[in-house]
Amino acid sequence: MTGTLKVASLLAFTSITRGNIGVILLTIVILTLVAMNLIFVPSLLDGLVWGANDKLINTYVGNLIVEPATEKDLIRDVDNFVPRLESIDGIAAISARNSISAQVEYEEERVSCSVHGIIPEREKEVLNVHEWLIEGSYLDSKDREVILLGVQLAGADRPDIEFYTRSLKTVHAGDKVSVRYINGIEKQYTVKGIFYTEFIQTDLQAFVTETEFRSVNALARNRASSIHIKLAEDADVNAVIEEIVRTGEDIKVLSWSEYAGIVRSMTDSFTVINAILNIVNLLVAGITVFIVTYIEVTNRRRQIGIQRAIGITPLSITLSYLIRAIFYAVIGVALALLLFINVVMPLEMRYPFHFPFGDVYLQVGPIDMVRTGSIVLLVTIFASLLPVRGMMRMKIINAIWS
Amino acid sequence: MYEIQELTKVYALGKVSVRALDGVSFTVEDGDMLAIMGRSGSGKSTLLRQMGLLDNPTSGIIVLDSRDVTRMPENKRVGLRLKSLGYIFQEYALLGEMTAHQNVYLPGMMLGKPGVNYKKRAAELLEMVGLGERLHHLPKELSGGEQQRVAIARALINEPLVLLADEPCANLDTISAGIVMETLVRLNGEIGVTIIFVSHDPNDRKYARSEITLGDGKIIEESGHLQ
Repeated sequence: MTGTLKVASLLAFTSITRGNIGVILLTIVILTLVAMNLIFVPSLLDGLVWGANDKLINTYVGNLIVEPATEKDLIRDVDNFVPRLESIDGIAAISARNSISAQVEYEEERVSCSVHGIIPEREKEVLNVHEWLIEGSYLDSKDREVILLGVQLAGADRPDIEFYTRSLKTVHAGDKVSVRYINGIEKQYTVKGIFYTEFIQTDLQAFVTETEFRSVNALARNRASSIHIKLAEDADVNAVIEEIVRTGEDIKVLSWSEYAGIVRSMTDSFTVINAILNIVNLLVAGITVFIVTYIEVTNRRRQIGIQRAIGITPLSITLSYLIRAIFYAVIGVALALLLFINVVMPLEMRYPFHFPFGDVYLQVGPIDMVRTGSIVLLVTIFASLLPVRGMMRMKIINAIWS
Repeated sequence: MYEIQELTKVYALGKVSVRALDGVSFTVEDGDMLAIMGRSGSGKSTLLRQMGLLDNPTSGIIVLDSRDVTRMPENKRVGLRLKSLGYIFQEYALLGEMTAHQNVYLPGMMLGKPGVNYKKRAAELLEMVGLGERLHHLPKELSGGEQQRVAIARALINEPLVLLADEPCANLDTISAGIVMETLVRLNGEIGVTIIFVSHDPNDRKYARSEITLGDGKIIEESGHLQ
């Protein structure tokens, strides 16, 4: 066996060091491109999913959301319920909201939305909408008769936003808008700030302080339409949900992924697309390596015949191709990773892809790299061994003289 | 002893069958130097390929060192080609990406005989065939005659029982051909290896101690130590 391995290594070494440099470079370039493709597409889709989930969690839902068991009801006795929730291990912050449908008007424009009553300090601990202000400033607990608008409602003279034509179009911080609540109350508000999180659902919201909200809806006192929860990093989501349910209140608890069906279906679709693209990529990689090896083996048919004629075992010859395939794959994958990390990712960081929920950054971790490397290696080995195996079945005299 | 009994090889070329060998029988004594002569198409190379276990005869028996090797499975034949047979091809047949030294020691490395320094032995063999100074040259840097002598050294690396040479001088000029044939004669004398060579050149008769001549796949003439 030692002889077999030594001979295989020598055959591989001499063919790599003294073989056709053009063929070797072509093979490595193809494998580098294949490996880059295998890293790029999943990392882009991972970036998309990560970006969407990040915006969903940090601007719209939080990690968990507690809602009344029935849609028309409200969560009751919030003043007692919130401290009970805060005592649960794994919960980092809580923000209770009251919500009501309303129509916001500015000059000739009118838009329907939900207005949420929030305690700004608590809301800041759960969501980071306050970090996405493009005009004005965030709410303060003592604020009255001011409103915070999402850019998709305000328009803010930004025709490039998705809902501009259905927005108030020209509203800016400091403008006065009229809000007609569904309960018939109508109030004038000064727009204190406009936020643009780039997550459409979030940017279609309007916020007033809880105090202001109670002034238009007295029923909101000690009640909440929803409670948004931020979990500690090491929290066990299911355990926290169980603890919340165990409080015995008439509520339902949803994780962010359960709550946002649209994003979930998008991420599910991306997972499927990713799998399909990976299969196609692997087929292309496999066929390419097969063709390159087939051409090389065909060109070396006489040499292989001579090797067999002088007593080199088929196993040794096959192993030599295996070593070559591993060498090409390792170099190809290493080059792909180097290029990806040092060129593609920094370039994409500088000029990110823009999607409706914001800029998307390529996401690639060590596991992705190891997975890509392993897949390319396996495909290369399999695809390169097939033609060699065929050649080993050929009669020696045909290999040498036909 | 190398014994050939009623060896027949029939090639199918479309609907036509060509009988390249037709009941050839002879025995080669150990240490002999046998020339297989004959005109082009007489079956010389076909016979050598059957004897070198590179092809399977249609019928007949090949006995090498008292063992019937005719129907051996390929995995055992490859072992015999490595240990017991040395084959020299008409077209040199060196591995182009390996130096002369590597070409010679490759089968030695494959066999991995305990206690044998195959690299040292390869260098000695190259010295013996007059190429001691050209160990690290690639085949393309050697002349045809030099390449053929590298092939001879390679065939001898595992101390085979029999050396088979298929028209070893067919592609060489007269001087190189003379050097190659004299090298074979010298090795036959010094090492005592049995040499069977194929040639269509009547001048090569002088190097042989025994001889068979083929015509239309049959032995039409034989002389020397043959049984």
